[in-house]
Amino acid sequence: MSWSPALQEIIEEFSEIDDQFEKLEILIDFADHVNELPLEQWTDENLVKGCQSIAHIQVEIIDDCIDLKAAADAKLVQGLQGILTIAIQGLSPQSALDLTPDFAVEMGLLNTLTPSRSNGFRNMFDLIQTTIKEMI
Amino acid sequence: MKDQFPILQRKVNGKPLIYLDNAATTQKPQCVIDAMNDYYCNNNSNVHRAVHTLAGEATEAYEECRRLLKSRYNADRVIITSGTTESINLVAHAWARPNLVAGDVIVLSEMEHHSDIVPWQILAKSIAVELRFIPLKDGKLDLEAYKIALDGAKLVCITQTSNVLGTRNPVRSIIELAKEVDAKVLLDSAQAVPHEEIDFKELGADFMAFSAHKMCGPTGIGALLVKPETFNEMDVFMGGGDMIEKVTLAGTTFQTNEHKFEAGTPKIAEGVGWAAALKWFAKIDLASHHKRILNLARITSDYLSKKGMKIHSPLHDGDGAIVSFNHPNIHPEDFARLLDAQGIAVRTGHHCAQPLMERLGVSGTIRASFYIYNDETDVRAFISGVDRVLEVLE
Repeated sequence: MSWSPALQEIIEEFSEIDDQFEKLEILIDFADHVNELPLEQWTDENLVKGCQSIAHIQVEIIDDCIDLKAAADAKLVQGLQGILTIAIQGLSPQSALDLTPDFAVEMGLLNTLTPSRSNGFRNMFDLIQTTIKEMI
Repeated sequence: MKDQFPILQRKVNGKPLIYLDNAATTQKPQCVIDAMNDYYCNNNSNVHRAVHTLAGEATEAYEECRRLLKSRYNADRVIITSGTTESINLVAHAWARPNLVAGDVIVLSEMEHHSDIVPWQILAKSIAVELRFIPLKDGKLDLEAYKIALDGAKLVCITQTSNVLGTRNPVRSIIELAKEVDAKVLLDSAQAVPHEEIDFKELGADFMAFSAHKMCGPTGIGALLVKPETFNEMDVFMGGGDMIEKVTLAGTTFQTNEHKFEAGTPKIAEGVGWAAALKWFAKIDLASHHKRILNLARITSDYLSKKGMKIHSPLHDGDGAIVSFNHPNIHPEDFARLLDAQGIAVRTGHHCAQPLMERLGVSGTIRASFYIYNDETDVRAFISGVDRVLEVLE
């Protein structure tokens, strides 16, 4: 799969780092890319289920473009939300649905994409695509 | 001792593995791995029925596990199960369901693992028994509340050692008090058997449930020890092969020994592996190891406390070598992932004890749990790893 230039750049950035700890430090920095979902908008509908941390993702379609807002209580989950924002924000609904979550593995951030309590990334990715499918 | 455990020689994320998730599962010594490998290479067969040589060898190797368990824990009846969870569910279905009626009381505690809560909730929904929970007081079970809860009790189900806090409960007193009202006692001993020698008969409980994998044995196998007179009150639960005496189209008669509760092909290779672990275990001085690793846990706890962490584990003499803690601001998941990046394995989350988390006022904790192969180098690596996490996240 080919990624957007912005995502490809992040994949390459992570790929150049061998040390897992350093990767996670950089991941935390990506939290700055999240368009924050205000606390009062945290609902059961935008809650990411099955995640160890509390994470919310709100998906809207504005002018045929995806608009993501997100929040989480864990820094690393916020970082993953930042990368998801870079990957998906502004895409057309169909382009967002065509995306696969493999990029997180290519970055070396996750060793599995199996949904689990310890892997909020896949749960978040699935929530985004499910919500888009329901809206179009 | 570490050199006997192949997995402890590996690296994780480029760093030597520091394994501190032993309350979840323990690692396996080479002799256990070899025994299971040897079984599949040389003896693999179904057990109990066939007359051929392999079947005899497999049966002998598998049943050795039961003999070793009977001897180690001084138990007359040892039902082999898939683990602690199945053992507890077996008591719910095979003893509680046929012997309890609506309104009977089952006493549990707030520090139980989900596997000692959910089976009883399912039963309560089905036959309307009443569940009462002993509350915690200063991190321990409130025994005065327990005495009150015993009124009308027919069964008491208690964890011997908490999987979250490491607290060792006063099971002797709990059993004595239960016997005064003629209640049966089930001990969830999953976290106790890896750390202490237990004489089941002398202890006086009716049931004791535990798993092999928390004591260097394989996953997928465990045991339920049962007092003989209580064993006779158990009804068949799961039907199938191996548990029958004779089957006709008109009906079935059942075996009278433990096989009655072991329908289907058993966990043969796992039994062989557990037997090897039990033989290996017999050479270990558990008491001195426990004292040593409890000291490691206390050093760890003291350091974390100095760094501002909230420690939930009491770490009294006899308690499990478990340090459950929280940082005031750092999410447990962040903490654990950054430790993992340094090769350090700890557990985070609710540890299958959500009611206890609610009592502690947290959604989850970070848990470092020590076992007999852990040493001072692990503590040093953990402390160094914690320092690095704090540098990044504080």
